[in-house]
Amino acid sequence: MQRRDFFKKLGAAAAVTAVIPAMSFAADAKPVSPNKLDAKSAMDAITGGKTAKMSKAIKLKVPEIAENGAVVPVTVEVDSPMTDSDYVKSIHILAGKNSNARCIDVNLTPENGKAMLATRIKLGGTQEVIALVALSNGDYIMASQSVKVTIGGCG
Amino acid sequence: MAEKRKSLIKIKPKKFKDGEVVKVSFMVMHPMDTGMGKDKKTKKIIPAKYINSVKFNYNGKDITTMTVWESLSVNPVFTTYMKINGKGKLTVTYTDNTGEVHEKSKKIKPKG
Repeated sequence: MQRRDFFKKLGAAAAVTAVIPAMSFAADAKPVSPNKLDAKSAMDAITGGKTAKMSKAIKLKVPEIAENGAVVPVTVEVDSPMTDSDYVKSIHILAGKNSNARCIDVNLTPENGKAMLATRIKLGGTQEVIALVALSNGDYIMASQSVKVTIGGCG
Repeated sequence: MAEKRKSLIKIKPKKFKDGEVVKVSFMVMHPMDTGMGKDKKTKKIIPAKYINSVKFNYNGKDITTMTVWESLSVNPVFTTYMKINGKGKLTVTYTDNTGEVHEKSKKIKPKG
């Protein structure tokens, strides 16, 4: 009889432990980002439906493994003469799996002299970081790199 | 609203000539809350507070304009290049989604 009781208690305890995390998960439901946007629609919004070509003119510098997702340094450099007739119009950084994929848009002018942007972004998990560049002749080029994130940085 | 925020404009190299292309970085102490994080003590959601736009103005001309979303990290840094074009003032302005405006300027004196 003792053995039977023991199993009964064990079962009850297992049921309780199974229920508790489920309840706490329900209470911890993540709030939705005010401007939710996935990477594809974000890219369409920037390019207006045009397809962006992969290009080696963009140098995207992101660490392959980011220990802390809250601070990930990103550097985008574009080979461009930056003259009045041929310059980089804008640089966009997108993070594919963040709830809002758009991180930053930078509009440049020929007065910049060099097309470069460096910032630090937050990454919610392992994902691809995309650099989308608009040229003055209306073309779009892009480069991407996947980043492994050990601790997610988005709240 | 009227919180004082620390900010800094850095120019590299420190000594530059007229016509040179220099690296300009703007740093600001800002929480950049996404509106999705929770306060660990009160368990309440922290309302969104992030920088909306940043403007680099050099001698009355907007050189670089940025549109920013909440995915940027806390205390963000914005680095771009700039061509020096005579004596003047570089002013960096940012606005916040809550309406906070902050301005920081630096005198530019090319040597030689």
